[in-house]
Amino acid sequence: MTFREQLQAWRYNLVPDHVIGEILTKRWTDNAIPFLALVIVVASFGSAIPGFFKLYSLQESTRQLGEFSLVVTGLTVVMLGGGIDLAVGSIFALSAFSAVSMVFIFEQPVWLAFAASMATGATFGAINGYLIGFLRLRAFITTLVTFIIGRALYDILVVNFGSKIQMSMASSDTWDFIGDGTILGLSVPVLSALVLAIVTHIALTRSRPGWHVLAVGGSRRSAHNAGIKVRQTVFMTYVFSGLCAAAAGFLIATRLSGAGPGTGHGLEILALTAAVVGGNSLGGGRGSVVKGIMGAIIVMVMTNGLIRLGYGTGTNQMVLGILLAVAVTIDIRWLKNRHKVLNEVYVAPVYLRMGEATSAVPGSGTPYALNSELSGATHIGLGEVEGPEDVILDRDDHLYCGTRHGEIVRFFAPDYTRSEVFAHIGGFPLGLAFDRDGNLLTCVGAMGLYQIAPDRTVTQLSAETRRSFTSIVDDARLRDPNDLDIAPDGKVYFTDSTKRYDAHEWTLDSIENRATGRLLVFDPSDGSTKTLLDGYRYTNGVTMAHDNKSLFFCESWACRIHRYWLEGPKAGTAECVIRDMPGYPDNINRASDGTYWMAWLGMRTPSFDLSLRHPAMRKRMARRLPQDDWLFPNINTGGVVKFNDKGEILQTMGDLTGLAHPMVTSMREHKGELFIGGILNNRIGRYKIDGADAGWTSNDSYWGASK
Amino acid sequence: MIFDPILELFRGRAITIPPMDGAFRPNAVLDETPVLAELQQADNLCALGDRLLASSGTELVEIRADAPPEPVQSFAAAITALAAAPDGTLTIALDDGTLSENGTPVPLPKGVACITALAYGPDGALWLANGSDLHPVSGWVADLMEKNAAGSVWRRAPGADFKVMAKKLAWPFGLLPDAKGCLVSESWRHQLVRVEGGTVKPVLRHLPGYPARLAASADGGAWLAIFAPRNRLIEMVLQETHYRFDMMASVPRDYWIAPSFASGESFLEPLQCGGIRTMGVHKAWSPSRSCGLVVRLAPDMTPTFSLHSRANGKRHGTCSVIEYQGRTVIAARGGNCILTAEDRT
Repeated sequence: MTFREQLQAWRYNLVPDHVIGEILTKRWTDNAIPFLALVIVVASFGSAIPGFFKLYSLQESTRQLGEFSLVVTGLTVVMLGGGIDLAVGSIFALSAFSAVSMVFIFEQPVWLAFAASMATGATFGAINGYLIGFLRLRAFITTLVTFIIGRALYDILVVNFGSKIQMSMASSDTWDFIGDGTILGLSVPVLSALVLAIVTHIALTRSRPGWHVLAVGGSRRSAHNAGIKVRQTVFMTYVFSGLCAAAAGFLIATRLSGAGPGTGHGLEILALTAAVVGGNSLGGGRGSVVKGIMGAIIVMVMTNGLIRLGYGTGTNQMVLGILLAVAVTIDIRWLKNRHKVLNEVYVAPVYLRMGEATSAVPGSGTPYALNSELSGATHIGLGEVEGPEDVILDRDDHLYCGTRHGEIVRFFAPDYTRSEVFAHIGGFPLGLAFDRDGNLLTCVGAMGLYQIAPDRTVTQLSAETRRSFTSIVDDARLRDPNDLDIAPDGKVYFTDSTKRYDAHEWTLDSIENRATGRLLVFDPSDGSTKTLLDGYRYTNGVTMAHDNKSLFFCESWACRIHRYWLEGPKAGTAECVIRDMPGYPDNINRASDGTYWMAWLGMRTPSFDLSLRHPAMRKRMARRLPQDDWLFPNINTGGVVKFNDKGEILQTMGDLTGLAHPMVTSMREHKGELFIGGILNNRIGRYKIDGADAGWTSNDSYWGASK
Repeated sequence: MIFDPILELFRGRAITIPPMDGAFRPNAVLDETPVLAELQQADNLCALGDRLLASSGTELVEIRADAPPEPVQSFAAAITALAAAPDGTLTIALDDGTLSENGTPVPLPKGVACITALAYGPDGALWLANGSDLHPVSGWVADLMEKNAAGSVWRRAPGADFKVMAKKLAWPFGLLPDAKGCLVSESWRHQLVRVEGGTVKPVLRHLPGYPARLAASADGGAWLAIFAPRNRLIEMVLQETHYRFDMMASVPRDYWIAPSFASGESFLEPLQCGGIRTMGVHKAWSPSRSCGLVVRLAPDMTPTFSLHSRANGKRHGTCSVIEYQGRTVIAARGGNCILTAEDRT
């Protein structure tokens, strides 16, 4: 091994690249970019401005921030519902004026001032909501109009009553406390913003109205079809936004004890920037209150920081504009390309140096030498059945197989020309086995372990095991249950091939070659599922040894067969029985003469084996090429191999023409014949075995002769 | 869009190849067209007067419409190129680097030992394509995978010596001389170039495959044989230095990730995802290492139509095409046969 290869092996086997892809599958990664921006902004302004983190300075900034967060929370809800509210600035200003005039002109108590503020907000919100929700006007234009009218109204009022307010002698302790005081060190605006954020977050994520808002924002039509009152929901989001802006207006009124021409000026742009910078989608349906708050902090810190660093309003606006542009671009590009990035990053190949394979070339003289014996098999269900990964026969000689449509199909003995759908499960039924009572058990790809009773009742036996401590994506769920076998005590031993890919993407696991296959056991007595072994490269076929003291299972991408001991001195351990095969093993089943049949789903190729030693090349391949162009193992040629308890190879059969049985994933011996299945094939093969016991069936072999 | 150049640092630039579209729109003509003769390794075609000759490994064979191919002569090494002069002279190049005219050895300039194509111009000059200075013709895969551009084109005016006309070509594989110069297919660069008066000018670029030999057409246009399609995986391997050299060192040549004259014959060959046989079907569009493709070029050298044998076909490795007695005759080296196609113009 060269030094470079050794470095590659360390680099790709020790650095857990797959973690990146798994983290990206999490929804919360959407928060990562705004959070990073938040940290950077706070850190850089904090270090650039002396005294930034001083208590007084923080107290003042956070009051402002609290008010601003209220507005942003309201706007976030509108945006989640698929709308936009440009009127928040004027609502904010008018509410402040209402409160101030109530206290200083009419000399009313503070609670009435608050009520007046809220009423102002509710009224404007309702106008917006009615026009947009019920009359279906465009949100942008409508709120622009209410913004202009509201602003104009405010300017008129301030000009006419401004001096009256300033001259007023009215005063109130409550008013001053709300404006200046603190509770437990926190100012009222911060407290109210916190309370509102928590309540809104819970409402959005855990209540019916909140879900309705998200549903409407995600897809109006689907929400309507699902029976959600779309118009009413939209209406309510604007009312909510109006109320939030009003509450913020009331708070600024108490803080400044007045209303000037500048109150709420440009607030709508600030709030919109904050909501978008936080990562709320302009298209609606995606976002959260937390994102809104993060955006609010970013914007507040930046604008205040810039002012304190001595930059003028122009610079400030410019920075905000750039921030908004960048945020919108990232938002749109990320939403659009997130799945692409995930696809490109997800495949994280590891290094593996396969052992030198024994040749399978015809005429090579090895026990593995392939031939075209299987091309002589007659076919069952040609063109009717799609993807019979496994096949099995019952005591009445009827033939069962799974299909890629999620069905178990039954072909009737003796000629197997008639068929019916025995049961529909969904997923992709793979391995099959009959238990003592004639129930058909199956490993269903992407679903779990299922049982079909003779009366066709489908029962889920197991869909999860214990989660491992280091998992990022929950690996308790079975992603690719593949094959099973049943011990005399009724325990079901089965494999879950990979934690990384779903059943229909099983071939991708060969590119990555990460060892995540498991051997599990399901105990019907208490319904529990336990992981026996973990960390194999695509565990696949399982079969009980003839003496039931051990079981054989195969590790497809490593081309090995292992024996797992159930009793005796080595109980609970596995040992490798056959290694370095030239083909990739799939299902294993008992043969009539006390040996075992193994299916080969494909053949190793020198170019693919070499690529396993070049993980960086495979990684680039996954990123630079469309999947149809990826290098695969040669799964267009397979075969059937017979081996014995000692791991000796006795016989190999294949179909080198590739016409009838290119890939073989299973075979089942029954009364002197071999029934052959293939996960990508359109038929079941029926092959007469020379010299086989014509009375042997696997049901008798497992459960004794029929009664 | 604007972020792509940044993202490419992390995810890698996508590898693209020219689409089989327009004049290259696929069909299955080569698989449906009648077989004129079954011939192992059918390679270079040449019309000597009324006789249709073809090379097949070390054999020179005469093809007849109503009889099986008849061996004419056998050589010590594989025949790599044939050409017939208007005066009836037959020129034959062998893989051992020798050239003979009517059986007489012709002295070659130093370094010319990889003769991929021969052609006589209207003025009687012999044009010669030397695929590479570094490999014999049979070593073409290695020349491609080493990314060499060590080929040259030579011209021998009547009664004169060979003179080099162009150098540093990436495997010149076909010649079509005219009064002023010569059209050359440059295989590893997927283009046709015009060699004229000491300059090399691209004529037709971005071909969707590896061009092989050229032949004149009666209407002033030309026929171009393409022996293998471009394949994204191969293009990627060409950029993967470590993997490529390890592959060349440790994998038998037939099983390289590289173009070939025929594919799918052994389970040791590389397989790409799209080529998986599913429900008994091998998809015609699937990526393949070989194909059959013959392109008709108009007199201005724009492609007008093409005849295909796609991934699921068998008549691959089309290295030579000529017009013979009003019909198009095609040699499929990987398909081991010689085909005729009705004129579709």
